Amino acid sequence: MKTADEAVKRFSSSRKRSFVNWALQSIRVIFKDSLGATGLILVAFFILMALLAPVVAPHGPFDVVYKPDKTVARLVPPNLTNLLGTTNQGMDVFSQLLHGSRIALLVGILSAIGSALIGTAVGLFSGYYGGWVDQLLMRLTDIAFGIPFLPFAMLAISLSRPSLYLVILLIVLFLWRTTARVIRSQVLTLKERPFIWAARAAGVSHLRILFIHIGPNVLPFSFLYMAIGISYGVMTEASLSFLGFGDPHVMSWGQMLNFSFNAGAMRNAWWWVLPPGLCLSLFVTSAFMITRAYEEMINPRLREF
Amino acid sequence: MTGLRKYIAVRILLTVFVVFCIVTIMFALIKFMPGDPTSVFFDSNYSQEMIQQQKKLWGLTDPIMVQYLRYLKNMATFDFGNSFFQIQPVRQIVFVKLRNTIMMMLPALILSCVLGTLLGAVAGWRRGSTFESVTISTSLFLRSAPPFFVGILVLMIFCYKLRWLPSGGMTAPGSAMGFWSTLFSIDFLQHLILPTLVLTSREITGPTMLLRTSMLEVKGSEFLDILRAKGLSEFHIIRHATRNALIPLVTYIAVMTGLTFQGQVLLEIVFAWPGIGREIVTALNDLDYPVAQASFYLMALAILMMNFIADLVYGFIDPRVTYD
Repeated sequence: MKTADEAVKRFSSSRKRSFVNWALQSIRVIFKDSLGATGLILVAFFILMALLAPVVAPHGPFDVVYKPDKTVARLVPPNLTNLLGTTNQGMDVFSQLLHGSRIALLVGILSAIGSALIGTAVGLFSGYYGGWVDQLLMRLTDIAFGIPFLPFAMLAISLSRPSLYLVILLIVLFLWRTTARVIRSQVLTLKERPFIWAARAAGVSHLRILFIHIGPNVLPFSFLYMAIGISYGVMTEASLSFLGFGDPHVMSWGQMLNFSFNAGAMRNAWWWVLPPGLCLSLFVTSAFMITRAYEEMINPRLREF
Repeated sequence: MTGLRKYIAVRILLTVFVVFCIVTIMFALIKFMPGDPTSVFFDSNYSQEMIQQQKKLWGLTDPIMVQYLRYLKNMATFDFGNSFFQIQPVRQIVFVKLRNTIMMMLPALILSCVLGTLLGAVAGWRRGSTFESVTISTSLFLRSAPPFFVGILVLMIFCYKLRWLPSGGMTAPGSAMGFWSTLFSIDFLQHLILPTLVLTSREITGPTMLLRTSMLEVKGSEFLDILRAKGLSEFHIIRHATRNALIPLVTYIAVMTGLTFQGQVLLEIVFAWPGIGREIVTALNDLDYPVAQASFYLMALAILMMNFIADLVYGFIDPRVTYD
């Protein structure tokens, strides 16, 4: 725990250290935690999987595989040519699985960055300016909290054309809400601290105080919610795809589960159900493990359930 | 007391405001998104005049403000019109589905609150024990796994491999009976076991974590020393401590119930449970927008109601809270 405190202090007190240094430091601290280390190793594995997918995967995600006698290889159990068997349309499960990791990373990273940016900005302005700005932004947050997300996303997708980017956009539109509330509460305490008064007295402008003096101090929380956003984003995309509202041209793990569930593969083709489900679970859980280690590092008392 | 009254008034206003905004967003979505719900009815046999005539009958050619106000009125009076495909008023369909959803949710919620309270209380009391770390990490792990995959796994094991339990639905086909006789039939209970198991495994995390944390706080308080001085047994002391640690749980239950409504959709699909979440999915696939819209509206209302109740309970239950 001592190293953790040091790392945070070092980060929040001096901005001389470069971002890369700080990131390495954080990773080292997370690595000390056995749960966090497991998570990091798993995520590294998934990143590797995503990078190598085009090289390693024997087929494209939608390629139909044929048997030697030129018939479509439907529901073939795992063997040496199709490591994880094939689907009912003769697509290679192993290749789909590898390509799915790229979709998961894309969705996770984009929705995490998007929601962290919006949430942090909303939280900063709302907490710092107070008054009507705060009222407006917080009522907006209330609305975002009041809407049942999955049904709303399904309604929005069914009224337009389903696409991966629409899904990501919808996830971002809902993920920022928690970040905004947490950042706001942080800013509320920070802005009463003496160093902010000192900055005000020295004639520093509001915007500069907000982004140069307060911003870096709430950054650990932005990163925390960004990390949470990765697993939440991937999980949400998978849920939507599983329900049949994903991009039909993108074979994500959720989409694989959707197809296998609808084809009744639960009964006769475990190789089509278990791999995407296990990958999804492992990915989400590993992101969660990192989050937990990181969370304990920046604030042992902050837990949201 | 005025502080509390003002707090309640503000909460009511806020809830009504959010409901109004959500309803408006829904209206805008259906009006301005590229998809046109009426296209379900018209094929190439309709001439342009016939389409216009029909739209006029439906009131779709009125000025948008008129349509909006009419829509607001209908939403406020729970008048959702008729389903496009099922020859029934939407209200009837949706309320039956809502009841089914609650029938699936309630046992799981009760079970997770009771079990979660017990586990969390013991975990908090035995801080640092193996029991604590096992309980906490198991429940966190269960929570982070995707619910629909857990559901599928459970189905694969108990229904397709072992053939112990039915694969889905609320009752076996052909067993149409009254509401009460269904509720207490063995058949219904068999169908209920797996969904309850999966839902409980997810929802138990909240009460467990909450009870553990609040137990840790209560544990240090002085009244326990007095009980101990009185010579009460460990069991009785834990009971007193738990009673005090329960306060935060009461508000959490309301919030949890609201949140479960959305997560429910996935499990209802996996277990083919004829609830409101499944209704949204099928309605959207059939382009039956009145049903989809009404289901969505009811879900949003349920969530907001629960949050409102949580706020109220929070105000009543703990006299230490002030509102100024």
